Amino acid sequence: MLNINQSKPRICILRTDGTNCDQETAYAFNKSGGESHLVHVNQLRSSAAKLSDYQILAVPGGFSYGDDIHSGKVLSVELASFLNEQLRRFVDEGKLVLGICNGFQVLVRTGLLPWGELGSIKATLMQNDSGHFECRWTNLLIEQNNCVFTKGLAGTVVQYQAAHGEGKFYTNETTLQKIEQARQVVFRYAGAASGQPTQDYPQNPNGSLHAIAGICDRTGRVLGLMPHPERFVETFHHPNWRRASLGEPHGMPLFRNAVVYAAQTGAGC
Amino acid sequence: MAIQEVRVQTVPYLEDIKGKYLLHEIQNTLHITSITGLVTAKVYRLEGISAQQAEFLTRHLLAEEVFQIYTVNEAIIKDADKLVEVAFKPGVMNPETGSILKAAADLGITEIVAADSSYEYGFYGTLTDAETEFILTGLLVNETVEMVVTEKPATLIIKGKPGGTRVIPIRNMDDAALLELSNDNLFLNIDEMRAIRSYFINLDRDPTDCEIETLAQTWSEHCGHKTFKATIMVDGQAKKPFYQRLRESTGQANHPLVLSAFEDDSGVMHFYDGLALCGKVETHNSPSAIEPYGGAMTGSGGVFRDIMGTGTGAKVIASTDMFCFAPPDLPDTDVPPGCLHPHYLLRRVVDGVRDYGNRMGIPTNNGSVHFHRDFRAKPSVIVGAYGLIPAADAGKRRPVGGDLAVAIGGRTGRDGIHGATFSSGEMTSRTIDVNASAVQIGHAIEEKRMSDALLRAREEKLIRAITDCGAGGFASAFGEMGEDTGVRIYLDRVPLKYQGLAPWEIWLSESQERMGLAVAPKHMERLAAICREHNVEVTVIGEFTGTGKLELFYHDEPVGELTMEFLHHGLPERVMTAAPQEHSLPVSEPDLPGDWEQVCTQVMQHLNVCSKEPIVRMYDHGVQGSNALPPFSGIAGDAPNDAVVIAPVPGQKYGAVIAHGLNPVLNSIDPYAGSIWAATEAVANAVASGANPDELVLIDNFIWPYPDEASLFDLDRAVDACVDFVKATSMPFISGKDSLSSTYRAPDGLVLKIPPVLCISCFGRVADVAQTISTDFKRPGSIIALVGQRDVQQMGGSAYFDITGATSPRVPLINPDQLIATLRSLHRANHSGAVLACHDISEGGLLAALAEMCLGGDMGAAVSLPANERTDYSLFNETAGCFLVELADQAQLEELFKNVPHIILGCTTAEQNMSVTQANKNIFNISTARLFTAWQKPMQEVFGGC
Repeated sequence: MLNINQSKPRICILRTDGTNCDQETAYAFNKSGGESHLVHVNQLRSSAAKLSDYQILAVPGGFSYGDDIHSGKVLSVELASFLNEQLRRFVDEGKLVLGICNGFQVLVRTGLLPWGELGSIKATLMQNDSGHFECRWTNLLIEQNNCVFTKGLAGTVVQYQAAHGEGKFYTNETTLQKIEQARQVVFRYAGAASGQPTQDYPQNPNGSLHAIAGICDRTGRVLGLMPHPERFVETFHHPNWRRASLGEPHGMPLFRNAVVYAAQTGAGC
Repeated sequence: MAIQEVRVQTVPYLEDIKGKYLLHEIQNTLHITSITGLVTAKVYRLEGISAQQAEFLTRHLLAEEVFQIYTVNEAIIKDADKLVEVAFKPGVMNPETGSILKAAADLGITEIVAADSSYEYGFYGTLTDAETEFILTGLLVNETVEMVVTEKPATLIIKGKPGGTRVIPIRNMDDAALLELSNDNLFLNIDEMRAIRSYFINLDRDPTDCEIETLAQTWSEHCGHKTFKATIMVDGQAKKPFYQRLRESTGQANHPLVLSAFEDDSGVMHFYDGLALCGKVETHNSPSAIEPYGGAMTGSGGVFRDIMGTGTGAKVIASTDMFCFAPPDLPDTDVPPGCLHPHYLLRRVVDGVRDYGNRMGIPTNNGSVHFHRDFRAKPSVIVGAYGLIPAADAGKRRPVGGDLAVAIGGRTGRDGIHGATFSSGEMTSRTIDVNASAVQIGHAIEEKRMSDALLRAREEKLIRAITDCGAGGFASAFGEMGEDTGVRIYLDRVPLKYQGLAPWEIWLSESQERMGLAVAPKHMERLAAICREHNVEVTVIGEFTGTGKLELFYHDEPVGELTMEFLHHGLPERVMTAAPQEHSLPVSEPDLPGDWEQVCTQVMQHLNVCSKEPIVRMYDHGVQGSNALPPFSGIAGDAPNDAVVIAPVPGQKYGAVIAHGLNPVLNSIDPYAGSIWAATEAVANAVASGANPDELVLIDNFIWPYPDEASLFDLDRAVDACVDFVKATSMPFISGKDSLSSTYRAPDGLVLKIPPVLCISCFGRVADVAQTISTDFKRPGSIIALVGQRDVQQMGGSAYFDITGATSPRVPLINPDQLIATLRSLHRANHSGAVLACHDISEGGLLAALAEMCLGGDMGAAVSLPANERTDYSLFNETAGCFLVELADQAQLEELFKNVPHIILGCTTAEQNMSVTQANKNIFNISTARLFTAWQKPMQEVFGGC
């Protein structure tokens, strides 16, 4: 846990037109010991705020710029055009980046995922196979790898709510193999009973290849996922807390891992 | 200027998802089998740049090579048997345009002067022209807002010369001429037209179009609520206006939690920690009937702005949707002329609610859909919104003289002109043609960023007063805000989407995503800075004065001047006569069922009983991270709860509960009993979920046929029911709305009255969301009890009578005095923690409630029906205010419910089977799986699996 003598890690919760999971994401980080700040992309563009003042960057869910053209596309273009250098430095300095839902779409479309190549799009999140928006709870198997956010959770199955219309992870076979071989897959949609990765609808709500729900970069410090960990940070967030004890809310360890890592490394501040 | 055309398509080796589902729908819903394949492509048109620039933009913005291919200025679907492109009509705002321009500019391309996007569809197979036409009109093109593109447009820029201001020679008009002026345009009656004529005769001049349109809007039924303010004559006796009766009942209830009732854009009650909850429910029937997607979107957007316009601005925390449609399998030939098919309407309304609420980041988590054949001419589309605001910022605010009149949000176009007057008129087969301009496509992101900016401005105390620009646009917003002071507006200062609007059009436009503010001059600079940071446009368009007048200018020319006194108080008061109509429904009772399994599955798949989960799954009901009791839960997440509970303040355990009730079938048979049922159902849903009946408030929505004497009589009964309900329960109405245009007139003169709907919404507060209850059975071996008073002979209007073809005027008549005792008792039981599961009885009766509880717990039940009740009636009676309760043991039951009617029905079982006995005789055993399949089937057929 955090040493009380350390100052709290600062999290930049990036907002723009149509961002709408910013406040609950900020709450999840704050509950985990961080200090969240809601920062509009215009503040970064005008230099009224600087990415370098933060240790964690979170791109929350929502419909940035209406998800026009492609989901997350317009914000991705904006980040890659105006904040390219700041972003690159942020990642290179060993800081953490988290993209949830629309934020995952943004990280993939900027090229930060899978390989930190800003401006180069190697994978995509396509329209769900069902053809429409889906809001439902999913089981997610956490893979063994170097991802900072899921440290100590490998092999467990967590439940997060998914809520998206464009969440089907897709890329070509070569890229997919490289991602798999580098152990960059962090979350996979799993069957309710089996706990194993599944392509079956609706446990896999969008038809993602290899049941991929979230990936990280090679460093394990940039994570993107479609389902919403910030929607399960209180016991009562789960639809069936009245039926059974589910232990600590499943989203909490993810945010705590990030905050603890940022506090311990103290990168850049 | 040159237009570059870019076309983008999914790579051929991947499935074209959009095409796949359209094909399925054409084959299975439109039953066209000659079509064998369908591919889609997105088309972008970019005006003012070179082909090379378009190529660059495409590679960096419009297409992603991972999964897409593209062409520039070249066809992309080349081998289709038929190729059709569908675009928005010029002047219909395409929300995507702004994003294209922004992203292009971010990429360094700033020369684009206009842009648009649309879709191309390539059909394969031996389709006839008639079949293609049918696909277009039935599925792909809504001619109100869309068109088939037959040739490349010469330009995308909308130009126009502004029309001038006309003077209408009303002083010389006789009654016939006045009525002609009113019809199809102003929708005022002869008395009202004469009042306007007198006003201008006294002024010794004729009115401008701005003036007469302002009066028509302010005096419209939609904005003026003339019927609700009229004295009602019943049997020669004068009764107080509906409005007054409802308000007086609220006053008499004197509820300690009410902060603001019927005075602001929404009703407000105290919450916790110095916060307040507000609620508003609106109808959007007329626009949704002719353009369901845009209509539903603008309905949602409008009700959200009502919350944003409460006090000095509330945050929207939840959204609800209640719909009434004709059955989706209605034969095409039964759809009246000028009306759209309910299958199309239902899906497009759901799409509209989904796209607006999801994009705004507002959880849509409570709602229902009701079906009845008589909604075939016009659906009822009801959308609600709830908000959170510091109590100190709540309460109606008034501008003071010298404040700036400020427009914020989207630009003004020729959208929705005459929306207010249109909503107030009857729908006819001509409605679609005449009022096409009354509908538009909503732009949720515009409203979202405006909301972000406004909340910030509220926190910094920059806003004196705020209101929504809804029906009637600026005329309504500033006309109302300036009532006490007077207001002067310079119409030429209003930012426009395109040139060519006449002054009266700017004033009356109902372009969405706009609000009106009163701001002290010293705060304007800071407000503008906040808006800039949020990409929101804000403009000073005038000032509040001390003249008591509405003054309109256009480029320094006066174009309108009315006294606020005449505008707001010049409307002649109405006296309306109500007379009873025969509700002569014969009594025809069904035989006892021979095949119980068949009858049970029929009830479960009745459209008013069946699962609506496929709709709920398309709404983001978890955004804002507040859900504490979601719309569906249980082991497989597919069992419905009665209400929704949210904890809207992160880190706090207190919550808000939201529920509703409506039953148009009962309202048609017996307006009084049906209205009591609706109110009972609303509060029963809330209390079943853990709410305290003494901490709930109500919202009314009357959606009624045009108030002729008979409909007015029924409405009078419904209002009396509401008042009686408040008297008995002390739960007050704090907001409400009426829409009295549910009448359709066909070209052959046939008049169709759409069933009257009274939708009662309720909301309240719960101290601890951990003390709320879900409906799913928790464990085998529990006691199942029935709590509440019912007379099972009251079967009229039930789903069971509907499927058996039986009829009866005897509908459930609930005694509100008995009800409140039951509710308080149930609340104490829920609060004690002894209740494991609770579900209220509504459509489908005891059987449906029991089945849903079994579904949630993945278990079964063994129940024994009271020996003195007719078996089928006992199972299928739909008396609201009765509950199934799961308890650990019998002693608890007797202790908790000793003062209210209750019986033990049986127990939960581990086997997924429902066994029903009566007087020690086995009636039937049925596999619960069989019931669930039937219950889930109807909406899966409309919306696909889930």
